Amino acid sequence: MHLPDGFLDIVTCVITYIVFLLYGAYALRKIRTSETTERISIVSILAAGIFAAQTFNWPLPGGTSLHFVGGALAAIMIGPWLGFLSMFSVLFVQCLVFYDGGITTLGANVLNMAIIDVLVGYLIYRIFIKIFGAKDSVRITSAFLGGWLGITLAGAACGLEIGYSSSFPYGFTITLPVMVGWHAVLGIIEGLITALTISYITRKAPQLLYSEVGEEK
Amino acid sequence: MSSFKKGLIVTLILVFISPIFGVILADMVGYHEPLDIAGEVLNRPDWTENFNWTPFLDYTVPGLPSEVGYIIAGFIGIGVILIIGLIINRMVKKNQK
Repeated sequence: MHLPDGFLDIVTCVITYIVFLLYGAYALRKIRTSETTERISIVSILAAGIFAAQTFNWPLPGGTSLHFVGGALAAIMIGPWLGFLSMFSVLFVQCLVFYDGGITTLGANVLNMAIIDVLVGYLIYRIFIKIFGAKDSVRITSAFLGGWLGITLAGAACGLEIGYSSSFPYGFTITLPVMVGWHAVLGIIEGLITALTISYITRKAPQLLYSEVGEEK
Repeated sequence: MSSFKKGLIVTLILVFISPIFGVILADMVGYHEPLDIAGEVLNRPDWTENFNWTPFLDYTVPGLPSEVGYIIAGFIGIGVILIIGLIINRMVKKNQK
C-alpha cells in the first residue's frame, strides 16, 4: 500500500500533507499533555516490532505479496495518538532510509496507514468492547474486525487518492473497487494477526492494552 | 524481564528470519510491489532509480548479498526508530518538567 513518488499529482500530495500535518500536530499535543514517558517508550519498541513485521512480505504466486501493516494493532495496544506516532515512525523511516514509499506521497501514506487504519481499528475495538463487554471472545472478534476493516478502508482511501489524482490514468470508479477488493481479501490475514496478538497480550500482559485500561484522557 | 526487553527480543528474532520471506520466497515467485507493477503496466515513469537518495534502497546494503543486507537493513531501521523514540521521549519529559 506504500504509494511511490509519481503516483499522485501535486494537489493530492499537498492536500494529504496538510491533513497529515494538522492531525500530527493535534496528536503530538495530546501526547505531550497526557502521556507518560513510560508509555512513550512502549511506542518505540512497538514501532520497531511493526517495522520488522512489515519486512515479512508473504509472496503469493503470480508475483505479488501481502504484508502486515499493524495500524489497528498499534491503536488497540497503545491508543490512537501513540498508535499514530508509532505508525508514523515506521513510515518515516521506511521512506527516508529505504525509499519504501515516496517522499511526495508520504502525506498520503501517513493518512492511509497511520491515521485511517489506526482510527478505524481503535474505534471498532472500543465500540465492540463497550457494547458487548470485555470478554475474550469479544476481544478476538473486535480485534479481527478492527484489523480487517482498518486495512480495507485504508486501501479504499489509497484507491480514492490514486483515482482523483490526475497523474494516474484511471479514475476512482476503477481504482476504488480494485483497492477495496484486494485489501478486503488481504485484510483477513491482517485481522487474524491482530486478533491473535491481542489475545496473547490479554493473557500475558493485559496492562499493555490501552483500549481497555487507559480510557480516554 | 521488562516489556521493552521482551519486545526487543521478539523484534530481533523477526529481523533474523525476515529474509526467508522478504528475499528468498520473494525471488521464487518473482515478487514486485503491487503498485510498482501497476506503474510498469501503465508506463508510469519510475522515480525510484533516478530520484534515489539512500544507499539502502529497498532494504539492501551495498556490497552485501541480499539476504545479509536485508537483515542489516532491518537492524538499521530498528536503530533509527529507537533513536526517534528516544528523542520524542526526551521532548515529552522536558515538556512535563
